[in-house]
Amino acid sequence: MNRIPLDRKKESQVIGSAKLYTKAYVTDVPVYNTPITPRENFRMMLDGKVPFWMPSDQDIFTINPIILPDNVSRAFVIDIEPLAEEKNGGKDMFGVDWEYVPSVGGSMVKPGRPMLSDIADWEKIVKFPNLDDYDWEGSAKKNSPYIDRNKIVMSWVFNGLFERLISFLDFEAAAMALLDEEQQEYVHALLSKLCDLYDDLFGRLQKHYGVEMIYFHDDWGSQRAPFFSLATCREMLVPYLRRVADSCHKRGMYLFFHCCGQNELLVPAMIEAGVDIWVPQTMNDVDMLLEKYGDKMSFGKTPDPLAMDASDEEIFKAAKSFVDKYKKYKNVYCFGGMQARGNPAFAKAIREMYFISREEYNKL
Amino acid sequence: MSIIKEIAAAVETGKSKVVGGLVETALAEGIDPAVILNEGMIAAMGVVGEKFKNNEIFVPEMLIAARAMKKGVEILQPQLQKQGVEPIGKIILGTVAGDLHDIGKNLVGMMLEGAGFKVIDLGVDVPAEKFIETMKANPDCKIVALSALLTSTMPAITSTIKAIEDAGLRNTVLIMIGGAPVTQAFADEVGADGYSEDAASAAELAKKLFAQANK
Repeated sequence: MNRIPLDRKKESQVIGSAKLYTKAYVTDVPVYNTPITPRENFRMMLDGKVPFWMPSDQDIFTINPIILPDNVSRAFVIDIEPLAEEKNGGKDMFGVDWEYVPSVGGSMVKPGRPMLSDIADWEKIVKFPNLDDYDWEGSAKKNSPYIDRNKIVMSWVFNGLFERLISFLDFEAAAMALLDEEQQEYVHALLSKLCDLYDDLFGRLQKHYGVEMIYFHDDWGSQRAPFFSLATCREMLVPYLRRVADSCHKRGMYLFFHCCGQNELLVPAMIEAGVDIWVPQTMNDVDMLLEKYGDKMSFGKTPDPLAMDASDEEIFKAAKSFVDKYKKYKNVYCFGGMQARGNPAFAKAIREMYFISREEYNKL
Repeated sequence: MSIIKEIAAAVETGKSKVVGGLVETALAEGIDPAVILNEGMIAAMGVVGEKFKNNEIFVPEMLIAARAMKKGVEILQPQLQKQGVEPIGKIILGTVAGDLHDIGKNLVGMMLEGAGFKVIDLGVDVPAEKFIETMKANPDCKIVALSALLTSTMPAITSTIKAIEDAGLRNTVLIMIGGAPVTQAFADEVGADGYSEDAASAAELAKKLFAQANK
């Protein structure tokens, strides 16, 4: 694609408005006169090309339909019909009961009463959902007119692989099952069937909402270390995460991996599985990861906090230093949407990053 | 390899099906049950804790080691009781009120048991009154361990400690705290006697505090 020089005046023009869904509300956001769409730009980055600018999460349109019980139980419905806070929590699509914790805006399974006390019984006890039971057509009809297709359309898929195992067994039993030779065969069988479900789910998300990127939620670590070794991960999870990635890629979709924790040691597993992009939490050394693995997958990086009353000069400096530091990798995405929503200075910095990276990326 | 070393190796590598038989063999050879416990199993869990701290092993390995130790202790328990061998101390453990997280707390519990403590695990979302009630019912308990995973539930650590003070029990126990958002600075601020950043360190801290309490 031909590079187009920055025309700041032209690209500052607002040429329309589009909807933005959040958990709490739906709002209108401006559409700028960009030389290519944010969607095309994001895809360029994920395809290993030099994008026109450094993508940010302002370039993503998220839809987590209300019809999917996992989105309600995990308290992450992002739909044209936002969910009242008190309705969050409850049963996920397998019937596991989640308790909403208002102070963190998320849910967890109350520990101590797992659905499965023995993973060997999973086939008898775990009832896989029939995705035909959800009103896909009705939901798509309601949402379709408002989905901003200039952006890359993404949907979250909760409870991934290990998280799903935890939801069935509780944490300790799930962790032991990964290593216990007598339980491993059941883990393999359960995860394999789960991959079939996810494959079906991804297809429906694409068909009904035009989803192009799956935000696959599977936390693998604590604040200080991964939960399990790279060897365990390779043996027990990578084959299934690879199937998840394949389910995305065969449809021209991308796999955005959500994986909380200090997971530096597990990055090779993510790469082997075919993850397209991961946003490491701040306890990970993203700069080291970029040096080591920056040519193998994309990374998200959260800029340093910016004071609400930061001056224009400070905003420009912050934006410039972020772009200058990460432009060489060509595949860093600025993860800062939540800060941008609550902090006008931060929102301005993200906008400024657009202009700075437009110029800088043309030089790469 | 001596039978004690075999027991230690079986615990360390989580061979729960083997440990029981090895303990029975050791007992049949006339080895003191306290030696089997301390030099075989507790020592092995010490190694496990150290390796966990250094990221040489991870949660599953630690859990299966704890499970293997439990199997060994089940066999050993009647002999230990006969000889009057007591746990090295009693610890009340729980996640504070408003917090449902149990992973870190459970790992700490396992490592404390692995270090030879008897753990009274009160579970999650434990109100201060429950800690106090349990302390009153267990006057020989020298340590209370409080866990919180959320910044929003850290104040419940403060209020639990305050409630223990108000109940006139603060001088009877040492309090250790932990959890993802908890720091040494926070421990100092709330007047806790100790803080540890992971489960293995918690067991070491408990041993240190216990020695301090028994001075």
